[in-house]
Amino acid sequence: MVKKLSALGMILVFMAVFIGVAIAEGKGNSRKGKYLFRKSCRTCHTDGAAAKDLSPVSKTQAEWVKTFEALDTLQCKEEWANLSEQDSLDIYSYLHGHAFDSPSPAKCK
Amino acid sequence: MAATKTQMISRRKFLKLSGALAASTAVANPCRVLYALTKDSGVKNLNEIREVFSACDMCFNKCGLIAQVENDIVKKLDPNPKSLKSRGMLCARGNAGVKQLYDPDRLKYPLLRKGARGEGKWQRLSWDQALDHAAEQLDKIGKQYTRCGFLFMAGTDMQSTFVHQFAEAYGSYNIISHESNCLLSRNRAFLDTYGVMPTPDVLNCKYVIMPGANRFEAIVTPDTMDLMTAMENKSKLVVLDPRFTKTAALADEWYPIKPGTDMAFFLAVAQVIISEELYDKTFIQEKTSGFEELREHVKQYTPQWAEQETDIPAKDIKRIARELAKAAPSAMVYPGRRSSDYEDSTQIRRSYAIVNALLGNWDQKGGLLVPKKVKPGSMHLEAPFYEDNPDDRVDAGMAQMMFGEEGSFKHTRDAILKGEPYPVKGWMTYKTNPMQTGANRNKTIEMINTLDFMMTVDITMSDTAWMADLVLPAPSYLERQDPLSAFLASSTCSGVITRDAVVPAMFESKPVFWIVKELAKRLDLGEFFDYTMDDFRKEQLKKIPEVAKAIKEDGVYNITGPSYGLYKGKPFKTTSKKIELYSTRYKSKGIDPMPVYKSPKSIPENHFRIVVGRNAYITQSASTNNNLLWELQKENHLWVHPESAAALGIKDGETINVKSSAGKVTIKARVTKETRPDTVYMDTGFGVMSNWLTNIAGKGACIAEILEDRADIISGNMAMHETFVTISKI
Repeated sequence: MVKKLSALGMILVFMAVFIGVAIAEGKGNSRKGKYLFRKSCRTCHTDGAAAKDLSPVSKTQAEWVKTFEALDTLQCKEEWANLSEQDSLDIYSYLHGHAFDSPSPAKCK
Repeated sequence: MAATKTQMISRRKFLKLSGALAASTAVANPCRVLYALTKDSGVKNLNEIREVFSACDMCFNKCGLIAQVENDIVKKLDPNPKSLKSRGMLCARGNAGVKQLYDPDRLKYPLLRKGARGEGKWQRLSWDQALDHAAEQLDKIGKQYTRCGFLFMAGTDMQSTFVHQFAEAYGSYNIISHESNCLLSRNRAFLDTYGVMPTPDVLNCKYVIMPGANRFEAIVTPDTMDLMTAMENKSKLVVLDPRFTKTAALADEWYPIKPGTDMAFFLAVAQVIISEELYDKTFIQEKTSGFEELREHVKQYTPQWAEQETDIPAKDIKRIARELAKAAPSAMVYPGRRSSDYEDSTQIRRSYAIVNALLGNWDQKGGLLVPKKVKPGSMHLEAPFYEDNPDDRVDAGMAQMMFGEEGSFKHTRDAILKGEPYPVKGWMTYKTNPMQTGANRNKTIEMINTLDFMMTVDITMSDTAWMADLVLPAPSYLERQDPLSAFLASSTCSGVITRDAVVPAMFESKPVFWIVKELAKRLDLGEFFDYTMDDFRKEQLKKIPEVAKAIKEDGVYNITGPSYGLYKGKPFKTTSKKIELYSTRYKSKGIDPMPVYKSPKSIPENHFRIVVGRNAYITQSASTNNNLLWELQKENHLWVHPESAAALGIKDGETINVKSSAGKVTIKARVTKETRPDTVYMDTGFGVMSNWLTNIAGKGACIAEILEDRADIISGNMAMHETFVTISKI
């Protein structure tokens, strides 16, 4: 169990570093991120479901950066660990690119 | 006061004319004109009159109305007194809505092009044939060019959301709203300054400067009515416009500003307010960022300097700045709802936003507000992802800060013509008419001629439909059920409205919601549209039962209570969490962080600058063919100042040539002092190619034919005032 948790922690730490570098280089695919967010996150993060309703405009760009730098602190950290680094980065690109204070805040649809 | 009376008489004349014509048509010859257009020609229960709530669709305002219906025939449209947004009124265009419904020129069944594009030869199809054909083309283009090879463009309409959802399920990123031919630069500027697009509280404002906007003709509810009420309450209106519009005529002061110099005026106003310390120091300190940078920046922009640029005397600029500051915070630079004009349009609007910030009018009575709003629920679309798609929109990166969900018609068209970064070969339009509203019509035709397939859904054969391969008939707003639509207006009048069919849909017309559902079924995407409009509305209303009740009882849900003082202590949605006088985001993108004035291009000798605008009779090209409104304006004219006309030997009413680098038209001259000698003007919506618009075919000229296509550098919005024309006798 300890091993499993430590492996999970390492994956998430590695992912945070990877995302940090990739963010700086702007490598995420926001379009795919939108699809992945709906597929992977909105199943829980929606009205009436297990987690709080969430969309890009739920946070500011700075808050999304902080969130992705600390994926290992999220309740759903295991789900994050199951995503590939590229998928996580794509989701980040979508959420960050359409955040509350971004140049193109997401519209409700 | 006299001015107000004039306006009221004018409005009554409109209503009288509309009402009289509607009545004479309906009463004098109901069978021939009305019953002939309905499937069931039987006359029954003549005294049975129903009153049905709806929302007007003769422009974008969605004013509440009550239709008087007798035997499934709409006899008259009345304003809904419960509709606070429209202040219980319905304008001439709203009254003329009955003639959008009973228009002999309406599209009646699906049509397939038979001759060359634009030749006007059509074959009638059944709906099954039409939908099978459209689905086949969507499938073929998607497979050959990726799903992004199909472009979607929908106008302002309560069902446009379904076109967007269909495009997303189909897999195209290339979706354009009509707004990139309209006002995106304004939205860009205010969003980047305030983090939101605020709404002006005209009703309670004591001092309004209106640059370019023509609120007494280009009607926006409730601003148009509220401005009149505010003026009755001694509010001051100052209009800057190269044209003597009706708004200018009723204003306290009108300045025929040199076109393209509005930013100079407002930077000078900012300079006066700052140098004379006429601002609220606490507000500036607590709510804004970049004030010191702004102070330094505007030192160069003195009223004396601005006089040379704007043709407005320095003493007036100074006085207006002082008067504005004295009236603050119930004072404003009206943000406008007009189209973008110059290549630095976003920066021009930024200068408006900055002066508003100096007036401290944010969230204040008579200032700029963000009213409370209702958020209807929605059906969440779980659209698929197509791995072979390109990374982004076809126009991505062509403007410095384009709205990804709006796009740019100008840049998309250029990209399609170039075939780069990838080919786009299909186009679906819904209730938008870029052939009339997108500058440089010849380029639009050129683009259409590069396409493999184009389909248009509309009520009549617009010029855009005229160029399409497949034309599908849509019902008018009085014949269909729509989703709920939340709207933000100003003081105490935001809310929600919807529409149910007032009468059954005529001919074979089908709403676009039904069309996309049918296309989706044929493309194996049916699961994404597996719901009815009732289901959709139930989902929208799930958490807001009070809205359902109000809509049923009153036809509208109004949010009551003050719209100001709602954001005390709340951060702004900007990077600094304050109003950004200096934009660090712009700086990081290599954009001027504060508006830097550049003189507009000089008008070459023997040329004129052409400007766009509107009058109260027409909504661009959507209503010029309407049987009632056409009675008020049968063609457009080119406004030319008498001095300029005399120099060219042009007489009032004479047909003349107008030429630019984009095209050439002939049009009758209106020789008038209501425009500057260096500026000419014509209304949009005439000079049509479609001879199925029988009232206006062959009348007037199309402004899109001669407008050159320039774009606002930041937003990608079409810049409409960058064209110079020559005019000459024939």
